[in-house]
Amino acid sequence: MSDTIVSVQNAVVDFGGFRAVGGKAGLSLDVKRGGFLGLIGPNGAGKSTTFNLISGVLKPTSGHVILDGKDMSSVRAAEISAHGLGRTFQTPRAFPSLSVFENVIIGADHSEDGPIDALMGRWIETDAVIKEKAEQVLQRVGLAERRNDSVENLSGGELRMLEVARQLIREPRILLLDEPTAGVDPTLQGKLAKILTELHASGTTLIVVEHNLGFLLKLADSIVVLLNGELLAKGDPDSIRRDPKVISAYLGADHEA
Amino acid sequence: MTLFFQYVLSGIVTGAFLILATIGFSFTRRVEGFLNIAHAELLGVSAFTTWALTNLAGVHILLSAVLAIVFTSLVGLLIGRIVYDPIRKLGPSVLLITSVGVAYVIGGVVDAVVGTGIRSLDIPLAESYRFWGLRITNYQLVVVVFAALAATSLAFFLNKTPMGLAIRAISANPELAASRGIDVKSTSRVTWLISSGLAGLSGVMLAVIATLSTDIAFHQILQILAVAILAGLGSLYTVVIAGLIVGVAMDVSVFWIPAGYRPLIAFSLVILVLMLRPEGLAGRKSR
Amino acid sequence: MILYSIILATLMYGAVYSVLTLSLNFQYARGGMINFGLVAYFAAGAYAYAIFTQEAPSGLDQYLFGFDLPWYVGFLAAGAAALLFALITGWPTLRLRGEYLALTTFAFAEVLHSFLLNERRVGNGSVGLSNVDRFDPTVLGISDRLGYAVAAVALMLLTAWFYNRLLKSPFGRSVDAVHDDELAAQAVGKDDARIRLQVFIISAVPIGFAGALYAMITTLVAPSLFTAEITFFVWIALALGGEKTILGAILGTIALVLFQEVVGSIPFETSRAAEVAASAEEIITGILFIIVLRLRPWEKLSRESGA
Repeated sequence: MSDTIVSVQNAVVDFGGFRAVGGKAGLSLDVKRGGFLGLIGPNGAGKSTTFNLISGVLKPTSGHVILDGKDMSSVRAAEISAHGLGRTFQTPRAFPSLSVFENVIIGADHSEDGPIDALMGRWIETDAVIKEKAEQVLQRVGLAERRNDSVENLSGGELRMLEVARQLIREPRILLLDEPTAGVDPTLQGKLAKILTELHASGTTLIVVEHNLGFLLKLADSIVVLLNGELLAKGDPDSIRRDPKVISAYLGADHEA
Repeated sequence: MTLFFQYVLSGIVTGAFLILATIGFSFTRRVEGFLNIAHAELLGVSAFTTWALTNLAGVHILLSAVLAIVFTSLVGLLIGRIVYDPIRKLGPSVLLITSVGVAYVIGGVVDAVVGTGIRSLDIPLAESYRFWGLRITNYQLVVVVFAALAATSLAFFLNKTPMGLAIRAISANPELAASRGIDVKSTSRVTWLISSGLAGLSGVMLAVIATLSTDIAFHQILQILAVAILAGLGSLYTVVIAGLIVGVAMDVSVFWIPAGYRPLIAFSLVILVLMLRPEGLAGRKSR
Repeated sequence: MILYSIILATLMYGAVYSVLTLSLNFQYARGGMINFGLVAYFAAGAYAYAIFTQEAPSGLDQYLFGFDLPWYVGFLAAGAAALLFALITGWPTLRLRGEYLALTTFAFAEVLHSFLLNERRVGNGSVGLSNVDRFDPTVLGISDRLGYAVAAVALMLLTAWFYNRLLKSPFGRSVDAVHDDELAAQAVGKDDARIRLQVFIISAVPIGFAGALYAMITTLVAPSLFTAEITFFVWIALALGGEKTILGAILGTIALVLFQEVVGSIPFETSRAAEVAASAEEIITGILFIIVLRLRPWEKLSRESGA
């Protein structure tokens, strides 16, 4: 079992005439197993596109995406998720037809179950266990009292925590978080930091895109900086913080430290 | 061999008719943004109005045609403003499903007024012209001429007149156009008049070259859909090519397969195009 | 007596069509798929039933296949035929959305209709297959009509239970999730393409059974019985009943059938008067449909339009 769990190799993403990711040689980055990688860069750097690449929502125009040793470049997103990858989105996506509680248990729901299993009621025995898990997860993210609410009543920050909860119950091996602190108030951010630290300690590989550098640089063990779809710098948080290229890239575009 | 080319020729006539019938439909799709299933029913309205005026009221065919077209345009305008425009914001799917209801209403009215049975227009017998061993009637020529006229007039209108440009602006970006001062209401009125007018013209042609039964409108919608999809939804120029392809394909197919399967050609084309290249001949994703 | 006859007919046909409305409810209101070709599964079921239970051809018959099997085998064959048709036509096309899917399903239904009309070897062409073999309720001591009305209601209730059970399960949640937000559903490991296909084909099966029952009731299957009118009838019934609930689907259908039965039972003096009444029925149905759509703008659709 190799040390690298996510490997993007010379990946290029083209939209018509516009190259969102890749530059001249393509984007390459490796994430080590159990690592906590922070992905930063000014707006439009290609961070979400890279997430879409890794999670399979976008297919590379050229290059490869290797997950846990397997080439997933042409595998569908749903399959990649089923293999143990989870992600949240830049704009939180919840399921309005489902209550808060159902939004969480759907993460643990028997994904292989088709209509026949549904009719035969095979899910009923394990349902109680899953509901218990969901309860715990909701406690962890602080949404336990909102469990029967409609998602329309949640604030932006609460929706983000809901997305996190939905992934927590899945216990993915690789978790991608896209701007998890955006719109989340400071106390909740503390909760989130705690959750991420616990995940990291338990061996989950984390890749987090963030603009909130204060939050991220304290938690991540390595950072990759993107600019215009290319790799600008990579290294540990301290050296990145002091890297003049990185500082000027951020001053050149909009940023918050 | 001449038989084959005769089929090609009749296919061109069929194609011309389809172009006429579909161009109004595609125009609605392009500007109002949805597939108006009731468009075909307007053909029926026009055809039967022409028939009623000519056969029952003894009006001269040319006058009947004009009156039928005007009447159909007004009906289409009324429906467009009262039924479709107010719910435009609900999206193309709701409008598509609503147009099914509208088709029911129009079809029902036509049924109630006209009754069942086959009808044909009381006009002088067609004169045939022969050339190169092929035959074409004067009425068939009229269809082709009108199709060409309609296509070129519409192109001219959309590209060279202020109203036409306003309509193109609205269909491309409604909010921007409205903020630039383009009157959405009057462009909408003109759009409905044009597409219904074209339906009216097609209906007159239908009355001239075919025998009329009350379910004729429904048969047309299937072929119109085939042409519109092959052309690429929302695209107007490619309707001409698509119309000719479908017309010729349907007529020439009689060479090899029983005539009853003719409509099957149209549907199979629809399925193939949607499966392989949903954008049709136009090539870009439809708006 | 006339009232009893109307009620029975309404229950019988209402229940049969309710099965279609319930299936459309599942496919469209929950699964988000616009199906304009419902009549195809209905026809496939009816024809499969007739073919499996017919005697082998003889004399002037033009059809080729008649397996002369008992009615329950025919019934199962009907479900299988509908499932197969949905699978074959759905698998390559379900990635299409909205109006494109509507057109494809519509086209496939018309292809089937045209095929049945022209291929005499399969279904006897426009004449159809008559004297369809069926179960005779009089052996149970009840009238034919009553027997089939009960059977239809039983099938309807079974179908309602079927969809309710599906929707209450994790699978049902997945269906809702995929409909709500495909990308988010993928992010939790739900295979949206596979789920959509499952919804599509499993909801065809009850329609196939309904087709078989319909064939047993009318004892005739002919192409003219299976036109797009049935598809649109079901859509209107769904709209009238409120598209979200199972009960709504049933009530909407029964109301629409009742309306048609009542109009159909008025004794008109001339055939022309009857024609006008039938047309008036069409017009009123269409207007109702338009009004309902206007007043209840189906939130899911509005969301689709990007509003």
